[in-house]
Amino acid sequence: MELIRYLGKGTGFTLLLSAMIIIFGIAAYAVIRSSKKEYAGRILFPLFFIELAFVFLVILLGFPAKKEAGVGPGVVPLLWIIGIFSFSILLLIKALLRFEEKDPKWGHIGVVFVYLGFTILYLILMQYIGYFISTILFLVGGMYYLAYRKWKVIIYLTAGWLLFSYFAFYKLLYVPLPTGKLITLIFG
Amino acid sequence: MDLLSNLVTGFGYLAGFQPVVAIVVGVILGILAGAMPGLSPSMGVALLVPFTYKLSPQISLILLGSIYIAANYGGSITAVTINTPGTPSAVVTSFDGYPLTRKGKAGVGLGTSLVASTVGGIIGTIILIFFSVPLARLAVKLHPAEYFALAIFGLATVASLGGKNWAKAFLAAMLGLLINTIGIDPISGVQRFTFGNYKLFDGFALVPALIGLFALSEVFTRLEEYKLEKGVESTFEKTQWPKFIDYWKLKLTILRSSVIGTLIGIFPGAGATIAAFLSYDVAKKSSKHPETFGTGNPEGVAAAEAANSSSVGGALVPLLALGIPGSATTAVLIGALMIHDVNPGPLLFVERPDIVYSLFAALLVANFVMLGLGLFGSRLWIKVTVIPKKVLLPSILAISIVGSFAVHYSFFDVASCIGFGFAGWLLKKYGFPVAPIVLGMVLGKLAETNFRRAVIMGGYKVFFTRPASVILLLLAVASFAVPLIQTHNANKKEKEAGGTPEK
Repeated sequence: MELIRYLGKGTGFTLLLSAMIIIFGIAAYAVIRSSKKEYAGRILFPLFFIELAFVFLVILLGFPAKKEAGVGPGVVPLLWIIGIFSFSILLLIKALLRFEEKDPKWGHIGVVFVYLGFTILYLILMQYIGYFISTILFLVGGMYYLAYRKWKVIIYLTAGWLLFSYFAFYKLLYVPLPTGKLITLIFG
Repeated sequence: MDLLSNLVTGFGYLAGFQPVVAIVVGVILGILAGAMPGLSPSMGVALLVPFTYKLSPQISLILLGSIYIAANYGGSITAVTINTPGTPSAVVTSFDGYPLTRKGKAGVGLGTSLVASTVGGIIGTIILIFFSVPLARLAVKLHPAEYFALAIFGLATVASLGGKNWAKAFLAAMLGLLINTIGIDPISGVQRFTFGNYKLFDGFALVPALIGLFALSEVFTRLEEYKLEKGVESTFEKTQWPKFIDYWKLKLTILRSSVIGTLIGIFPGAGATIAAFLSYDVAKKSSKHPETFGTGNPEGVAAAEAANSSSVGGALVPLLALGIPGSATTAVLIGALMIHDVNPGPLLFVERPDIVYSLFAALLVANFVMLGLGLFGSRLWIKVTVIPKKVLLPSILAISIVGSFAVHYSFFDVASCIGFGFAGWLLKKYGFPVAPIVLGMVLGKLAETNFRRAVIMGGYKVFFTRPASVILLLLAVASFAVPLIQTHNANKKEKEAGGTPEK
């Protein structure tokens, strides 16, 4: 129990996470090099969930035990963790025995990651230059990246969305849309 | 006779100018609030409460009730057209509504959702009018064991939702349930899986999670299929609208789902989402073509929409008859009533029948107004489906981000929305349905708190000694086993016929 408590927080938890990442990396390498490489995703997904459930289990075992009649705080999560283990193992076996379909083909994955990057950048910018300016950059940049060149539509749509969000969210709903640290610093 | 004469008086009250305006404005605002991801029916109602201070109690309640009714329908518009459910219950509408849009039949999805919502809303209101008092008494007599069994029954629908991917669907549901346990334990106050981060003390908010899992994951999927080419795309194609005969064919599904929706709506804490999931499951099991569910079957849209709209009538039962708010929206409504010195409860029907029956009459009328406005608006909303992807995808992202932020004004919610979106995209790619994650997150709290309360009150055996609990648990087992047996038999038949079995 001491070991579990150690692994459940602080340095121990970092060690546990590192061990899980290393195990996952080794497993991924082994699968990709094996004859089952066409099922790599089908094998690695359940493996990831098993590791995830294990990490949650280690944390859960550190919860205080129940002191009076009833059920402690860890009992119900434990049920769900057992469920995750069971279904993940079942899926893992199915994938190893090739009862699953082969991995799907990837499409234009680069576009997805570029857009994901845009979105994260949008969030970061929003905190510095505010919602309205960052939204202009995001919408115009986003449409331009997807090869849309009808500038009239881009301008009308961006302006329309900004007006809608100003009146619906800022004015009517009192949502404090970020004004941006830089803008506040410059204009007060 | 009292009931009928009170109802006639209620309808008489609606003949004035103010009540009519209140209904029309309420329906329009409700549709907008429901259609906008991040704005829930409860937010829509709460937003209008300050505007009711100077109105009479009747007009206030008519306005807020109309918003509540219409918001549940509004959620289906974006679910059908862009796979972005405006409300949690509209998640189920998107299962078949969005595939219909992808097939070029957005009109069928929108038309079916409108008519099913209207009929569901009317049936829910009729049940509310005639049976509110006895049903409310029944709802409060239920033991936590029965609420837990109800949650398990809801979870068992995953077997049917998952189809051939049932193991993946259950794994996804378990993930949703586990995610739901993140935060401070509601009973003992212990921090669970928060890693000491205060932003996780309340766990992950449902709305950003569902926006991520449905809207963002769909955007990422579409981007993955996308070729960066200049040029014109999307021309307006004439869409198909259902005819009266098409709606008539759905009568049994709508009727059954409306009754299920109203009954589920009565249980405090259950609500429109569970009603929609259960009705969808029942509709799929009763259908002659269950294999078409999830691929664009109007029955699926009708079941989900009739159930979530009728649950409004159900949710008003304990509110009006007992003064117990069973959902976030009814909690806001009770606050609005108290502002006007109206105390909901059994005496309300005796002391202020004018308020109660004018609300009943207004709810019935609001459904017809919603039908009229919906028929007019559908012609407009359908144009969303012909917007070029190059414009639509960045716009969905922008809507999703501001919608997630509006829930708690938190960047953490926005970040979690993007995280859920990315995870949803990967999961869908490998055949994991994302709806069970939402179901797990919705049912998790109901299941856990009632499980623990039941054990405190009667030990573990309590689940097997109360008849209603046993019946619900047996129904859950059957609901779990039947689709699995059906899949097994289908595989066997295909094997015998020399085909490739489902894995």
